[in-house]
Amino acid sequence: MLELWSRYRKYTRLLLVCLASFVLLSYQQSRPNGLWLAEGIAAVAAPIQAAFARVHRGAVGLWTTYLEWKALRLDAERLRTEVTALRLRQLRQDELESENVRLRALLALRERLPVQTIGAEVVAREWNGFTRALTINRGRSDGLDRLAPVIVTGGVVGRVMEVRGASALVQLVTDPASSIAGVVNRTRAQGLVEGVAGGRMRLKLPAREEGVSPGDLVFTSGIGGIFPKGLPLGRVTRVHAAAGLFRIADLEPAVDVATVEEVLILPRGVLMDLNGAFSEG
Amino acid sequence: MRLPFYFLAISGGTLVQSTVVPVLGVGGIVPDVLVVIVILLALRRGPEAGCYTGFALGLLQDAIGGGPLGLQALSKAIIGFVAGDLPRWALTGNPVVPVAAAVLGTVADGAVRFAVLQIFHYPAAFSELFGSVILPQAGYNGLLAAAAIALPVFRTRE
Repeated sequence: MLELWSRYRKYTRLLLVCLASFVLLSYQQSRPNGLWLAEGIAAVAAPIQAAFARVHRGAVGLWTTYLEWKALRLDAERLRTEVTALRLRQLRQDELESENVRLRALLALRERLPVQTIGAEVVAREWNGFTRALTINRGRSDGLDRLAPVIVTGGVVGRVMEVRGASALVQLVTDPASSIAGVVNRTRAQGLVEGVAGGRMRLKLPAREEGVSPGDLVFTSGIGGIFPKGLPLGRVTRVHAAAGLFRIADLEPAVDVATVEEVLILPRGVLMDLNGAFSEG
Repeated sequence: MRLPFYFLAISGGTLVQSTVVPVLGVGGIVPDVLVVIVILLALRRGPEAGCYTGFALGLLQDAIGGGPLGLQALSKAIIGFVAGDLPRWALTGNPVVPVAAAVLGTVADGAVRFAVLQIFHYPAAFSELFGSVILPQAGYNGLLAAAAIALPVFRTRE
């Protein structure tokens, strides 16, 4: 009997377990309110389950927070990249808009002027203190003449000093070697507008001439045959006391030559008064 | 040494099954981690340990889950016993064996439960239950078993 038991021990145990299961299944059929065993197990398990669930919820919450933080970080990075791209686009757009405004103004001036002009773009600047010049992308092939006046919507920029094949060098009005015949608009007092080494200009008048005061506008007088009459040159900022043969007045240039990017080139030797084109603008 | 381990496996497994595992459900299918535990333990410890572990785990599951007490105890005791006897016929060191055992064990667990439930006039058809619950759960359990055999505690002996 013992031998039989040990031979079939495992099967007997399985049978006992199955039997126990069936007994439990059948027994609870007669007790619809449930078994004390199930209730007991549930009573013990419930608080442990609750604690487990709390820990689990906490872990899930932490994980969710981490995922959200990660997503937010990715979003922030994406947004930063987008902002940078948009800023660059905005800068490009601003640049285009500003170029558009400048070109429109220049085009309007070109249409107002009663003479044929050539438009040019500034491609280089010579800015060393001793000389002040611009290089433009028009030259002999475009029909440019030496000494042709160069203007923008604000007034005179300078004159063409050297014409090359496809470019030209423009001497600025602020170049110390530049000298243009000018007239004070209010009093018609005439003098010479010269460049000063610091990048400004001055009006040199005969000592007896007193018709100049700060705020006066100075235009080209047309004398000399290079610049037509009536182009704005600058505004008087200070008048010095006469010394020797001359009286000197400091001028603020009508054009900020440092920021000029596009110019118009007038034909050389135009004698008519072009002031109307500027006062309309 | 063995008793605390079994106690931990049984109580921990039941708690994990009732709290954490439902979150892992995919398309309404929740794996039965306890089947995987029973199968892997049985493969390592033999038919008697498999049978007792299955019975205890199933009983706890029935008690906590509110089903007919003894139903899962019976099905898991049977699959635990059969899985424990498997090393006599198959090379359980091959990782395919525990994975296949978990898949087939889940199917057997479902079939036994369904058969027993017929006593209580369970209304659903087996084909419906098999296609929509047992088979997907068997696949899920197979994946879990494949992941679990990487753990030293469940690694089966050659």
